[in-house]
Order: sequence, then C-alpha cells, then structure tokens
Amino acid sequence: MSDSDDGFLRVSDVSKWYGDEQVLHDVSFEMSRGDVTVLIGPSGSGKSTMLRCVNRLAEAQEGSILLDGEEVLSPDLDVDDLRREVGMVFQGFNLFAHLSAVGNVALGPRRVLGLSEREARERAEAQLERVGLGDQLDSYPAELSGGQQQRVGIARALAMEPKLMLFDEPTSALDPELIGEVLEVMHGLVDEGMTMLVVTHEMSFAREVADEIVFLDDGRVVERGPPDQLFERPEKERTGRFLERIASHD
Amino acid sequence: MAGATRPTTVRERVSDADVSAGRLLLVAAGVLFWGWLLVSWVNRWLGGVVVPVGDPLVAPGLVEGALASLPALATYASDAAFVVQLTPNLAQGTWLTVVITGVSLVVGFFLAVPLAVARVYGRFSAWLSLAYTELLRGTPLLAQLFVLYYGLNLGRYVPGALSGVFPRDVVWVAILGFTLNGAAYQAEYIRGAVESVDEGQITAGRAIGLSKVESIYHVVLPQALRYAIPSWTNEFVYLIKYSSLAAFITVPELYYRADQVASETFRYTLIFVVTGAMYLALVITASKLMERVDDRVAIPGLGAARER
Ligand SMILES: Nc1ncnc2c1ncn2[C@@H]1O[C@H](COP(=O)(O)OP(=O)(O)O)[C@@H](O)[C@H]1O
Ligand SMILES: [Mg+2]
Repeated sequence: MSDSDDGFLRVSDVSKWYGDEQVLHDVSFEMSRGDVTVLIGPSGSGKSTMLRCVNRLAEAQEGSILLDGEEVLSPDLDVDDLRREVGMVFQGFNLFAHLSAVGNVALGPRRVLGLSEREARERAEAQLERVGLGDQLDSYPAELSGGQQQRVGIARALAMEPKLMLFDEPTSALDPELIGEVLEVMHGLVDEGMTMLVVTHEMSFAREVADEIVFLDDGRVVERGPPDQLFERPEKERTGRFLERIASHD
Repeated sequence: MAGATRPTTVRERVSDADVSAGRLLLVAAGVLFWGWLLVSWVNRWLGGVVVPVGDPLVAPGLVEGALASLPALATYASDAAFVVQLTPNLAQGTWLTVVITGVSLVVGFFLAVPLAVARVYGRFSAWLSLAYTELLRGTPLLAQLFVLYYGLNLGRYVPGALSGVFPRDVVWVAILGFTLNGAAYQAEYIRGAVESVDEGQITAGRAIGLSKVESIYHVVLPQALRYAIPSWTNEFVYLIKYSSLAAFITVPELYYRADQVASETFRYTLIFVVTGAMYLALVITASKLMERVDDRVAIPGLGAARER
C-alpha cells in the first residue's frame, strides 16, 4: 500500500499560529492513495488543527499541502471545490439538526453538486444503506443514538464522493457500547480502499488499519512510522510515555 | 410516554375538563369575533350586500329589547345597544389595524433577517446593522412616525392611484414607520436565535462545500427562525398594540376611531373597554396562531421551540 509513495497527500513543513501562539510547527507527512494515516497525540497537540488545515477550515500560514498535485494552501484555490473532494467527520457529529438523516446526507449533493431533488435523495439513501441505516432514513438527529448520528455523519461526507476522508476523533463522544458500530463502518471504508486521515484514540483500530501512525505533541511531529514499529519499538521516549498513558486508560 | 398508561386522577380529569371548556369558550369567542369582522368587511367591500354600509349587522334596538326583557341584564341594555351601534366603525378601524400590523410585520421580517445575519456574521455590515438597530430601538416610535409624517411629508409622494385601496395615504406612512421600527426589534430576536445555533452547524455546512452564505441560508436560518418563534411572537403582539400610535398621524385605525367616538360621546370607559377587548382578541389570535406555527415546524425529537 504505502510502499510506492505516489504523493497523493503531501504535507510539508506546515506551521500555523492562532494569534501569537504557534500550534503547528513544521508538520510533515505524506500519504498515498488508499492509505490510512492515524494522527495521535495528547489533547491540544494540534491534531484537529492539522486536519482542518487540509480542508482549509483552518488556515496554515506556512508550508505546503499538496493534494493530488494541487496546492491546497494556494490563495487562488477555490476552497469550496476543495471541500467537495475532502470529506470530514466530526467528533461532535455536527449533523444538521433540522434535517432528517436523508436530508443531512442529501444537502451536499443537492446544493453543492447540483443534483436534482430525486437524484440527491437516491444517493443519500444509498449512502445511508452503506452505513447500515437504511431503516432510519427519515429519522431526525435528535431521534438517533450517538452511534447512528455519527454514521449519518459519515454517510453525509461519503455522499460527496470524496477522494480523501478526514476523521476527527469520530468515536470520542460516544458511549463505549456505541463505538463498535462506527469503527465497523470505518473498517468497511478501509476495505473499499478509501484514503483516510484519522485522529483517534482507538489504538486497536489504529494498529489494525493504519499504514502509518503520526505522533504529534505540542504541534510537532515527534515520531511517525508503521504501527508495529511505533507501538512496539517507539524511538522517542515521549511516544512511549504517551502510548502507556493511553493504554492505561483503556 | 409514561403518562399514557397511568390512570388519571380525579383532579386531573377535572382540570382536563376545565381546559377543554376554556378552550371551547376561546374558540367560540374567536369564531364570533372573526366572523363578525369578516362579514362586516365583506359587506362594506361589496357595497352593503348584508346590511346597508355603516349599519351594524344586528339592529341595536333588537339587542336592547332582548336584554331589557332579561331582568339580570336589563341594566346593561342601553350600553349594549350603544356598543352595537359602534360596531361598523370599529370593524372598519380594525381592518386598518390588521393591514398595518400584517404588512409591517411581513416586510419588516424580510429586513430583519439580513440585519440579524449581518450582526452575527458580518464585519462592516455588522456595524451598520447595529447602528440601525440602536437608532430605531433607541428613539420613540411616535417620534419616528412624526419624522416620516411631518418631517418628510411622505404622504404627499404616495401616488393618488393607490388611495382607493386604503382610505388615506397616511396608511402608507404608518406602514413604512412600523416596518422600519419593527425590523429593528425583529432583528434583535432573530439575532439571538442565530447566535444560539451551534457553530459546528456552519462548520459542517462549509465542510461539504457550501459557501458561508449558503451555509447560513440552508443550515443556520432554518434552525434559527424556528428557535426565534416564541420571542418573535412578542414583537408580533407588541406591533398589534403599537399600531395604535398610527392614530397620532391621523390614520383612522381602531384606536383612532375609538378615540374619536369617545370624545364626541364622552363614554370613554365603555368605548375603551370594548376597544381594549378587541386588541386583546387580536393579540390572542396572533399568539395562538404562532403556537400552531411553532408546533407545525417543530423538529422531530427536539419539540416546539417554546417548550425548549
Ligand atoms: N479557533 C482557535 N482559536 C485559538 N486557538 C485555538 C483554536 N483552535 C485550537 N486552538 C488551540 O490550538 C491548539 C491545538 O488545538 P487542537 O488542534 O484542537 O488540538 P487537538 O485536536 O490535538 O486536541 C490548542 O492549544 C488550542 O487551544
Ligand atoms: Mg481535537
């Protein structure tokens, strides 16, 4: 998978400041098409910010992010075009509260891709089937469990047929018994060959599906490498300590 | 729901009966009130198909006679006849009150939404919106009406062709005044609701490729406008009552007519009690109407905005 680096996503020396506070320091990593990269790190280390720089929900001030050969950070880039191609799943689901499951998933295809009402609905239904919610099409977010809401969130992103999916702690807000159903859907996406950049504390998931783990601390990449190496033989002491702490929480 | 299977107590059954009796009374009063208004208006527009224009729907003598024959109510017979005599005049005034309130509210709403959005999401426009809102909310409504009426003499510019639609051109001035003023108040209520929509909603909209404006339109506003209904209803109710200020720029709406008759007949108490009851009926209609709208648009799982 990641052996032949095709430079599908190439993050180079990305730095980001909020006001005077630098939250990303020269972050670099790359992904090939079909890769799964998992970002780990303590809270506040800049994982969400890094993810958001990729779809320009946050603006990196320095560095370069090449997606499929195009410079994401270019001021001339149409960010709406970019976001059409990069799906995002949020920790807090962020489902549109006033729309049913189908409405949530169909909004993008209808309003962004310009599909007809019927086409958008059909696509939404298909995506909801894909995440196992074919029986909840017309339920509203407030009527769904957290796990179901997050699956709608995934379907909403998939409906845009993105070439890269960003997951920002998709299971962190879930009760433990609901985590499995979301991870299962994500496993399915991995099997289908989706390129995924995932922030998560689910270490067994990371170990199973990741091609590469990137450990961020204090806005810096401390260490990165394949899961076996990073989990079994971390090179940096900080990595080891973080992994121990995570493990003792599980 | 747990309550559905629990046997109701006697007390609950009694109070349920009270509620439904009260409801029935309210509905009956509403039907009577609006039936009387509609028939009176249609009668006037069609040139007196039911009774001659200017005559009450029921002859005052008939009412007086009927009441006089009932010992308990005999003392009120002449007052009742006097009120019945007034009804055509009051119905005509109420028409203007309804038109002024309705048009100002609806047009004001379409100004208020962009004002509210600008306040929350704009930069320079936020400042403009704030300035507008503060100016209109910070000065007396009556002063605003006087500026439009005397200062700008707007009545002069209204094309004569339209004067057939409304009895007086000043009606347009009043509508303009209430629209501009009401927009400022409506904007404040809507702004509060826009701010209450979680920021993650707009982020999610942007993340699927909607522009900021599209996210506001498709995601934020549909929620905010629902949440705004209960507080927005306040403005609806205020506007019904404040529309009486139009009397001061000689618009012959409900209050103006009541005041006119009262100063001719000196029966202030009776006339203003009756007029007050009519405003009350309009206000109750408005709030009941908005409750129904609130229920209609309630988001499943979240419930109506007023219950949250
Ligand atoms: N919108 C923002 N404005 C200012 N500071 C922010 C903002 N978002 C995040 N930060 C700061 O940036 C740092 C990294 O945050 P974040 O990317 O959310 O970390 P993580 O996702 O790893 O917990 C933190 O110190 C956080 O306080
Ligand atoms: Mg985070």
